[in-house]
Amino acid sequence: MFILSFLARRLAQGALIVFLVSLLIFTLLRVVPGDPVRLMAGGMAPEALIEQIATEMGLRDPILVQFGRYMGGVIQGDLGQSFVRPASGASTGGASFSDSTRGERAEVLTLIGDTLPMTLQLAALSIVFALIISFVIGVPGGLAPGRWPDRVAFYLSSIFISLPNFWLGIVLALLFSVKLGWLPAIGYHGFAYTILPALVLAVELSPVLIRTLTSSLATIMTESFVAVGAVRGLGRARIVFAHALRNASVPLLNILGIQISGLLGGVLVVEFIFDYPGLGLLTITAVLQRDFPLIQGIAIVTSAIFVFINIAVDLAATLIDPRLEY
Amino acid sequence: MTEAKPVLSVRDLTVDLVLGDGPAAARRPLIEAISFDLKPREILGIIGASGSGKTVLSRALVNWIEPPLAIAGGSVTYKDRNILTLPRGEMRALRREIAYVGANPQGALDPTLPVGRQIVEKLRAVAPEIDRKEAEERAIALLDAVRIPSARSRFHEYPSQFSGGMMQRALIVDALVSNPAFLVADNVTQPLDVTVAAQVLRLMRELTVRFDTAVVFVSSSLPTVAEVADTVLVLEGGRVVERQATKSLVSAPTHAYTRELIGQIPQLWTDTSAPAATAEDAEPVFSIRDATRSYKVRKRGTFAAMSTVRAVRNVTFDVFPGENFGVVGESGCGKSTLMRLLSRLELPDSGVVLADGKDVAKLSGKELMQFRKNFQLVLQDPFSSLPPRTAIGAILEEPLRTHGERNGKAIRERVLTVMHEVGLPASLYDELPLGLSAGQRQRVNVARAMVLAPKVLIMDETLSSLDQTEQFKLLKIFEDLQALHGLTYVFISHDLAMVRRVCNRVAVMYLGEVVEIAGNERLFFDPGHPYSRALLSAVPTLEARRYKPEDCLLEGEPPSPIDLPPGCSFASRCPNVFDRCRVESPALTVRGRSDFAACHLVDPHGETARELVEEPA
Repeated sequence: MFILSFLARRLAQGALIVFLVSLLIFTLLRVVPGDPVRLMAGGMAPEALIEQIATEMGLRDPILVQFGRYMGGVIQGDLGQSFVRPASGASTGGASFSDSTRGERAEVLTLIGDTLPMTLQLAALSIVFALIISFVIGVPGGLAPGRWPDRVAFYLSSIFISLPNFWLGIVLALLFSVKLGWLPAIGYHGFAYTILPALVLAVELSPVLIRTLTSSLATIMTESFVAVGAVRGLGRARIVFAHALRNASVPLLNILGIQISGLLGGVLVVEFIFDYPGLGLLTITAVLQRDFPLIQGIAIVTSAIFVFINIAVDLAATLIDPRLEY
Repeated sequence: MTEAKPVLSVRDLTVDLVLGDGPAAARRPLIEAISFDLKPREILGIIGASGSGKTVLSRALVNWIEPPLAIAGGSVTYKDRNILTLPRGEMRALRREIAYVGANPQGALDPTLPVGRQIVEKLRAVAPEIDRKEAEERAIALLDAVRIPSARSRFHEYPSQFSGGMMQRALIVDALVSNPAFLVADNVTQPLDVTVAAQVLRLMRELTVRFDTAVVFVSSSLPTVAEVADTVLVLEGGRVVERQATKSLVSAPTHAYTRELIGQIPQLWTDTSAPAATAEDAEPVFSIRDATRSYKVRKRGTFAAMSTVRAVRNVTFDVFPGENFGVVGESGCGKSTLMRLLSRLELPDSGVVLADGKDVAKLSGKELMQFRKNFQLVLQDPFSSLPPRTAIGAILEEPLRTHGERNGKAIRERVLTVMHEVGLPASLYDELPLGLSAGQRQRVNVARAMVLAPKVLIMDETLSSLDQTEQFKLLKIFEDLQALHGLTYVFISHDLAMVRRVCNRVAVMYLGEVVEIAGNERLFFDPGHPYSRALLSAVPTLEARRYKPEDCLLEGEPPSPIDLPPGCSFASRCPNVFDRCRVESPALTVRGRSDFAACHLVDPHGETARELVEEPA
């Protein structure tokens, strides 16, 4: 019962958030300079033709009307069609304008559907890596505040946070793929291609996780139930792993929820560097081509994912600590 | 007494506080050369003021000395072994036989796991041969034995769902579940309300008999220790200064410190110099009429359902000029909400609060400022109620500036006058409050209220955080200020001894209602409501009790202010309950000239409830 009401409340809130994000993205995209029709039609297309195409596509209607039309489609699962990309795959645009390709333009939903699983795989693996790194470094640090494991955790997380991801990506690719030949780096032809980019993202994610885990574990270890636990006869391992880590994982979960939202920024760069065919790469090209429907689609899908992840994180947190109310 | 082999022998135990590292570290003994024996089934009381080393001693008894503390010498012998030198593993095995209950019940268990599960976890950690099923049954049986209602379902609840008293019982279960040979109870009743503490004490006595457990009962309150212990050790400055059987200790203390300790214990009934009731023909300064305040909280596990916490219900009383009016009650009874209503931090949902005959809800602008000036509030917590980085002079100047005073010299003079009145040296004017003691901080708080020359001071547990000596001093200051400025005080407190000493009239609150209003003498010698009697019976005191807890107090805790049962709210704990109480809520009824009590047994024609009850029905 609690879970049902929680989900109902949070999903309703989430739908509202996604709606507002869509409205914001939609409006902003239409007020920034740069006419997508000009890009589609090519620099040489006559002004009258551009106006005609724009009117046909409804781009000269008031923004709210356009938004209403668009959201009507979204609710039915139709995110529209790319302005630029043909269904065949390669992107078009530029000078080679030909009206006949219009009917074959790619569905935004298909484009996202093809790339999203790749990015989810990358994100999931990088979170696994990040959690492993932060537990291995953070737990000893949290158990020995002020002593050397704590300092090691602090220095390592400082180093990690100072490494630029593009630099680390290139260095790792050079080292593991070019020099040692252990891991593939460019493109995607199997799971092994996910490992290097995931590692780069994990290094980017872990400093905050390490700091959170270290400090929350150190705080929990000063709680009286930890000291009293030993007097009650519980073993050290039991106190640390069954009780302290359980309590310390709640702030970690909350941070993780926020961090995942920040992951998208990292994904853009890392997918570009490793030429990883995910949502990040799709976003970059969509932005460069002013492919409005695609950008909107990506924005809606990613905001929906964030909403879901944060609901999942909060639900997990309430299951761990029943005092929490969201 | 037979010379049985002691359960525990302590010899020359010394514990040091070690500051710094290495051989250059400074060592200061916290307890020194302590020796005593604990006989089987004995309850040994240890009493001392704060800082006397009693918590250090109680921790040393269970081998729980951590840096910066260190054992400097001596032994704690259990079963012919000095437990202080045992390796960690062997000590853990002994935890089964050595149990400890501390003063902080809410923090003692992991808040994210059900209470029952943690008790089972502990039992299985110290006694792995017991299987889960059996451990659960044992825990539930014990929870039942300490009278936790519906133990089987409580077993699955979380620490946050237990009240303080309930949690303390659960921890006693946790300690006793492995059948320990002895139990160290460190200040277990300190965080509890008096009526709940009285129940826990009664429980401790019963359990030692039933489970054959010896108990070391540590407390800072001599009346509490005297209630349970057979023998009492008096600790001063880390040394045992006296050891006697409880009775003779109280009647014939040999050491000066013990005499001082006994002298400080307030008396409720022996001391007859209580303030008399004041004349009630004057216009009341405060008049609260049928005020009710509820809060809405979201019901967990529902979509939008709200439940209502009825914090203050239909409260009516008057406070007259020059009077000391007391409001007493236990935690959760609505005292603090009442304070918020009186000081217009909140407005009542229904009913009115009249100050000087004007409805405070309708005040605004100038009139509101005038009200604020006349009716000042002094809060409970001396630490969080002062801004830590503002000089004391500046703290005290601020109210004057807020109320329009602009002349810097006049402000400074006024502040210095008030500082002098409350006993703060003028040299503190430019100091930060950081180094001040709790007593001095509370003086700053009083001065901050006094600086505006108010007519009424509302004291919300102002003295609760101070020790006896400081309380005496501040009460003296209050008295002087009253004589000087004709102040009216409203004391909101749970401390009956303090109320007995200073208040002319007292309102007793229970679950948001005022159940009795009576003059000081009448309340303490002839209470009209069974709850007042229960409260009086539970006050820790060394005097011969007028009211016995056995007669006046039933097991159980106040019901939750959410979903109040119909009828009288005290019905669930009242020894005189009868059918009418469960359906009809009693109204405040006049007893004699000016006292009121809300009980069906009160006879408005002057006879008291007590006399009626004592006749067998």
